[in-house]
Amino acid sequence: MSVALCASAGLVPALAQSVSGPVTYQLDPNHTFVTFEVLHFGTSTLRGRIGPVTGEVTIDRAAKSGDLRLRIPVATVNSGMRLLDARLKEPDLLATTEYPEAYFVATRFRFDAAGGVKEVRGEFTLRGIGEPLSLVARSFACRQDATLKREVCGGDFDGDLKRSRFGATLGEPFVSDDVHLVVQVEAIAP
Amino acid sequence: MIKSSLIALVAAIGFTAAHAESATYAIEPSHSFATFEIGHFGTSTNRGRFNKTSGTVTLDKAAKTGSLDVTVDTTSLDTGTAAFTKHISSDEILNVAAFPTAKLVATKFVFNGDKVAEIDGNLTLHGKTNPVVLKAQNFNCYNSPMIKKEVCGGDFDATIVRSQYDVSYGLNYGFPDNVHLVIQVEAVKQ
Repeated sequence: MSVALCASAGLVPALAQSVSGPVTYQLDPNHTFVTFEVLHFGTSTLRGRIGPVTGEVTIDRAAKSGDLRLRIPVATVNSGMRLLDARLKEPDLLATTEYPEAYFVATRFRFDAAGGVKEVRGEFTLRGIGEPLSLVARSFACRQDATLKREVCGGDFDGDLKRSRFGATLGEPFVSDDVHLVVQVEAIAP
Repeated sequence: MIKSSLIALVAAIGFTAAHAESATYAIEPSHSFATFEIGHFGTSTNRGRFNKTSGTVTLDKAAKTGSLDVTVDTTSLDTGTAAFTKHISSDEILNVAAFPTAKLVATKFVFNGDKVAEIDGNLTLHGKTNPVVLKAQNFNCYNSPMIKKEVCGGDFDATIVRSQYDVSYGLNYGFPDNVHLVIQVEAVKQ
């Protein structure tokens, strides 16, 4: 069903924008969050939500290019459990005092046949360490938002990283080195 | 192999295997969370997590049976956006003041080998009860080095139709009727 909705909500505006050059969208803080997932003792998935994420994204559908800049306030990490949140913020994990924000800057965009964003590749900086990261769209669509009276584009993206690459290894191997990122994003046209 | 022979022997001399192997597990609240996912205008996925879950599970790995009785505190909803949390909690949607708990009761566990693969039960939400099938994405038991007890758990998901629970807000504005439930659970052997 969501695929059908994406097609109806996304395709038409995407085509309508295709000759208008670059458009810069501001991220909607109500609908932009990063959730990380790690496997706990090979048993269940522990999650933490970070956000709202702020930033902007420029998309040029005709040129099939884009530019994304996210500021991710890691000190907002929320797992549903305060004790764990406090532990996550310590210097050997997210190190939020020294590095209150993570960043994702991406300038390599891949589009699908319908003109939707399919993948963004760039550099993710966590604890001051930058590493390549790819976010792949599970869904992407644009709509004319009835309330905002603006075009809103966004979707759900997935990414994977190894936390050891960023020097955050506490709890391994009982808590996995593999971190799955689930990113909700919506961005509002000017 | 040795274990199953032993069980056969025990059963043969008059004890039931089920009695010998059945154990009760208490839900571990710091690793047990229910999250809902619902599409937002065909663009991205909105999520909300309930922070408080309690209850018990019985598991008989030899007889491959189980049951559970789990209560979710609906007033513990946390979406990351205060206005969204407030709206979903209001009498227009979940009405948590009138229905402060949701309940999952199940007496049918389906096993795949020695792992729980599916739980068939009844979900009571917003005062309405409907059957629900939870599918395991992960299931495992481990001996916790911290608490020196066996812990069993996994990741389960299900799709429910919210109008069946009389939660129909926004269906006419295009908010989906289907809601995806993502459940992390770990429970400690008593």
